[in-house]
Amino acid sequence: MGALTDKYCIVGVGETPHMRPSNRTTLSMACEAVSKAMADAGLKPSDIDGMTSYQAGDSTTSAHVATSLGIRLNYCLDILGGGSSTEALVAHAIGLLEAGYAKVIVCFRSMNGRSGRRMGGQVPGGPIPVATAEGDNQFNMGWGWTTPAQRFGMSAMRYLHDTGCTTRAFAEIAVAHRYHASLNPKARLRTPITIEDHQRSRWVVKPFRLLDCCQETDVSAAIIVTSRERAYDLRHPPVFIKGGYARTMTENPGWNYSRPVLHYVAGNYGWKRAFGMAGISHSDVDFISCYDAFTFTTLIQLEANGFCRPGEAGEFVKGGRLQIDHELPSNLSGGHLSEGYTHGIQMVIENVRQLRHRADDACPGWAEGKHTYDRQAGCRQLKRARICCGMAWGYENMASCLVLGGVMS
Amino acid sequence: MSEYTKPLPKPTATSRPFWEAAKAHRLQLQQCGGCQAFIYYPRDRCPHCLSDELQWKPVSGRGRVYSYTVVRRAATRSFADKPYVLAIVELEEGPRMTTNIEAPPEMVKVGMPVTVCFDDVTPEHTLVKFKPA
Repeated sequence: MGALTDKYCIVGVGETPHMRPSNRTTLSMACEAVSKAMADAGLKPSDIDGMTSYQAGDSTTSAHVATSLGIRLNYCLDILGGGSSTEALVAHAIGLLEAGYAKVIVCFRSMNGRSGRRMGGQVPGGPIPVATAEGDNQFNMGWGWTTPAQRFGMSAMRYLHDTGCTTRAFAEIAVAHRYHASLNPKARLRTPITIEDHQRSRWVVKPFRLLDCCQETDVSAAIIVTSRERAYDLRHPPVFIKGGYARTMTENPGWNYSRPVLHYVAGNYGWKRAFGMAGISHSDVDFISCYDAFTFTTLIQLEANGFCRPGEAGEFVKGGRLQIDHELPSNLSGGHLSEGYTHGIQMVIENVRQLRHRADDACPGWAEGKHTYDRQAGCRQLKRARICCGMAWGYENMASCLVLGGVMS
Repeated sequence: MSEYTKPLPKPTATSRPFWEAAKAHRLQLQQCGGCQAFIYYPRDRCPHCLSDELQWKPVSGRGRVYSYTVVRRAATRSFADKPYVLAIVELEEGPRMTTNIEAPPEMVKVGMPVTVCFDDVTPEHTLVKFKPA
């Protein structure tokens, strides 16, 4: 195990509702999320001295949020990032804590991802945003390649061709994550679906159907990282940071040009580091989160991170394996596909709640502080939630991971 | 003819020879003097051996569809006129190019042989596209 394993913890989580539209600024939403995360941890503004965020040129900054909440920062940084940034910022926070730059660090994301700037930067039926395709974009935008669906669809199509997998494997993921959303009062889409519902939904960008695509929302979410010593004084059982990675690979210099195998993605190069750092094997993992901007991005990361062999993810997910009370529950809040799209951070938040054994569900027992595990009654707390592997995706050549453990691990 | 509203490429000093050749309906790519590899997109150093001895050379224009998507829900109004095929074509010389396949979407398959064609989208701009061979 790594020298820093279990030395630092996630102690607070919070988020706004998933809205469409929010009719609010990203600053207003971030202040709500950070305030909720502080309240969740039992921390005051004066306890926070570090803040970081990731964004895509679409959000407020740490300095604005801290000022608005009366927080004085010893360290602040905002990065341009994406789906794999939360896990990378947690690793970054460990470095800051270890070096003494700050003692308690907030990481947040705030975005009007539906009503404002959508991923790809554009609005269907709306104004044409750019007349010229500059820089690297001169080699893709002119042909109509601008969005994540188009981009990841390219990898997905080749994956189907190379492996013989069918889109029914995508459906397994949509069904599992929707079932979890049905147990989450915060989720946008809560009506369970079937594989046939998925197969009948309309094409958006082939090979992706409507039910392969996430729910874009306006939302902010925040987490708080601090030392184990500080964590023991706070409101919830600490959730320990055990290992991770934030990995790129060389084969893709920019977009999808000239890589040997389009769907051999960055996670393949990272997971042994993360698992080695955490001192775990795949069989120790009780549940996972797996970035699901599209069903395919979950599917491909299962094999990239060694949960199954290359080309076998379609078989691996069959029969509901990723559903709660099955072998490897995935995205227990419903994920991007059904809870709402946060650009990654909500995966970490749900994992923290599960590891605390304090899922914020509608379980009748939870009002008295005890989960019943009765799914019919709305309980989504896992019975066994000790080790979680969170796998995140920026794009094919950028991925991250965060292995977390509960107090019982 | 109605006004062309899709994004138009803005060449740089490095990429201009590619776009000027396209305007003359020729496909040329950089070839590395160090390791002989053809590369795309245009750049200043070979991504394989880091040599900066890159020379523009004509290529065959023949290749195969490496992968593709059919865009039925366009991201912007300017692409919403009809479904279109986005593709990555792997050229005989090795490099892959992002492009459109000028064919009915249901006809396009992974591995399909294709050949280059040129779409003069404005008097000043030509896009390199491909059609079934």
